[in-house]
Amino acid sequence: MNKDTAVCPEYAARLSSAGDLIRKASNEIQRKNLEKKNLVWLELTGCSGNIISMLNGANPDLKYLITQMVNMKYSNSLMAAEGEAAMEQLMNIGMEDYILAVEGAVSTKENGIYNIIGRWKGEPLTALKAVKLLGEKAAHVIALGACATHGGVSAAMPNPADCVGVQAVLDKKVIKLPGCPCHPDWFTGTLAHILLYGEPELDQKDRPLLFYSTLIHDRCPRRAFFDKGIFATKLGENTCMFKLGCRGPVTRVDCPIRKWNDYVNWPIQDDTPCIGCAQFGFPDRMEPFISYNTTREG
Amino acid sequence: MASRIIINPVTRISGFMEIQALIEDGKVIDAITEGLLFRGFEKMLLGRKPFDAVYFTQRICGICSTAHSMASTLALEAAMGVVPSEQGRYLRDIIHGCEFLQNHLRHFYQYTVPDYVRLPEGYPLFAADHEDFRLPKEKNDIIASHYFDSLDLSRQAHEMLAVLGGKAPHNHGVFIGGITTQATTDKIIKLKSILSIITNFIEDRMVPDVFTIAEYYQDYYQNGRGCGNLLSYGCFNGYKDLGTLYVDPLVQTDGSVQVFDPAGIVEETQFAWYSGGESGYMPFEIMTEENTAKPEAYSWIKAPRYNGLPYEVGPLARQWLSGEYRNGISTMDRTIARVLEAKKIAGVMHTLLKNLIPDVSVQSIYEVPQVAEGAGLIDTTRGALGHWIKINDGAIAFYQIITPSAWNFSTRTNGLKGSAEQALIGTRIGNLNSPVELGRIVRSFDPCVSCATHVYAEGRHLKTIKVMS
Repeated sequence: MNKDTAVCPEYAARLSSAGDLIRKASNEIQRKNLEKKNLVWLELTGCSGNIISMLNGANPDLKYLITQMVNMKYSNSLMAAEGEAAMEQLMNIGMEDYILAVEGAVSTKENGIYNIIGRWKGEPLTALKAVKLLGEKAAHVIALGACATHGGVSAAMPNPADCVGVQAVLDKKVIKLPGCPCHPDWFTGTLAHILLYGEPELDQKDRPLLFYSTLIHDRCPRRAFFDKGIFATKLGENTCMFKLGCRGPVTRVDCPIRKWNDYVNWPIQDDTPCIGCAQFGFPDRMEPFISYNTTREG
Repeated sequence: MASRIIINPVTRISGFMEIQALIEDGKVIDAITEGLLFRGFEKMLLGRKPFDAVYFTQRICGICSTAHSMASTLALEAAMGVVPSEQGRYLRDIIHGCEFLQNHLRHFYQYTVPDYVRLPEGYPLFAADHEDFRLPKEKNDIIASHYFDSLDLSRQAHEMLAVLGGKAPHNHGVFIGGITTQATTDKIIKLKSILSIITNFIEDRMVPDVFTIAEYYQDYYQNGRGCGNLLSYGCFNGYKDLGTLYVDPLVQTDGSVQVFDPAGIVEETQFAWYSGGESGYMPFEIMTEENTAKPEAYSWIKAPRYNGLPYEVGPLARQWLSGEYRNGISTMDRTIARVLEAKKIAGVMHTLLKNLIPDVSVQSIYEVPQVAEGAGLIDTTRGALGHWIKINDGAIAFYQIITPSAWNFSTRTNGLKGSAEQALIGTRIGNLNSPVELGRIVRSFDPCVSCATHVYAEGRHLKTIKVMS
């Protein structure tokens, strides 16, 4: 059998899995079989790109998320309230049941003062304190994006703000959705699973198997070129990017079959190597991102 | 007696900001804006491979990542002596244009509209903290429905970006020589198709909506002026065959417009938490060190200056300098200029798409120079962005980034306050318990604190005093 066509038997199921879960969760909420849970979205030390990625979600989109799936109680990027009123909305959540989504790393330098996310009762609230306080009481904690899952770019050498991932400051299990940014489906699919069935099946590093089970390399549409030893020598070619430094062989995630931004494209289809943004160790252990012949360079 | 108003967090911006304003007789007599986030990208970049800067620096910002890919690519091209082909420039600028559309749609509807329009009740996300909503219900509800429509449109702007850029945020397309992939006919027609949908939305919804808001908030033409000096590094300009489609590198100082000269940029750190460069340095000269023990400092945003003066950058500066919009400089003019710019950019992209030749490859095998330096200056969604790189032994030896939000939210120097600080001062506050004016003024600049700040440490915050005069 040609390896190019030897696709995983779960291929079709995985393609539609996130969408199916989301539709089912919404139906159950509408039939009142399921309670709409509260969602708190914390942005910490990072680029706030995961909330933008979430806004790029197609099915569901933000409108569906906030009207059909959850009560979104806090988001620095989106909420109408500001200042004290915003902080009250955040801090009063402690009395209720909620799911906590966190993007961005946790800056620990000088007790966290390198990232202040608001001011509560006159005192600055550090990202460190906020994530500890809210993480402890949350029903589930979802870390999304490389910075939240393991420090990511915010913790890149020499890590000037002493950033760590969310797990490093919490004693409970943190579901991890690495990626730079996290794909909207990885988040909403995980969220829908929690709403319907509780925590999804996770691997040893607490990533949902639903999305993170298989290496990019194993499902890469350019795998046939790799097997035949046909390698691109520069960006923009349509063969295997392995010698340009592609991290597909070490990165477990479903980009090749899911794709990005309304499922229109993804880095390898854009004739560039995967830079391993969904793998632990990104960015430091995934660099250099672009080399012109890795078999030649030391 | 003066009272102090503190707003933190300033929501609906990218990143974290605190506004402190001193109020006397119902008027702001002094104000500071502080960024509350530190990561230290310039330090992280040292020792990395130069090509990696294009993907690495995008992680500075989730809403304007393409901006950083543009500036870092231009800096690398300057260092390497690479001149991109015109087709390469068109392709790259189309990707950049997609980011403008995405950003301006999101900033107007998702970040600005909730300040002026009451969104549907029953959703915690939309719970308002003030009562200053002036639109008649019918007009209010039309714009509120466009808020939801804008979610689709801004998403589609990023879909366009991904057609050539692979994904967004943090694209893979912008690179030395132009872009990585080739624009095949199916991609070009997809881009044209989405662009026509977005263009219709901007013309039929977004432009009328901003003027509806302006009609009911006329007082916002009177506040938020700022320093009045405008600056642009230029963008969508100087094409060999097409000329300048938008704006050339220009500055306006005290009412007179001149050609921008990069040698005039000096960054100062007199009142910022850094050692080195207090009295000013050129971008290539030094990288500063954090210093939390500096007594006179009050913020971590540095102070870029042009010939010693603060400047406003962004859509209003560009619209003004290009002659597209010259109604005035204020909170409302800034908001209108952003919307009109979305329309302008859609038109520019239409022209660029029309001039694309399908299937052109613009990539080569590039060598990292052993020793080189280069600057990449370009106007991006929020304004003038510069990256300055030095390469030594084939690795990054120096990196300097001056962002648009550093221009707009800079600290003071020699008694000259930053642009946004000046915009806040003099504002009449209607209700001291609900100072909605301050957030509106600051948001009109579209601050990106993720971009602007490098360090935060707690300054000498005074306790909030609520004493009415």
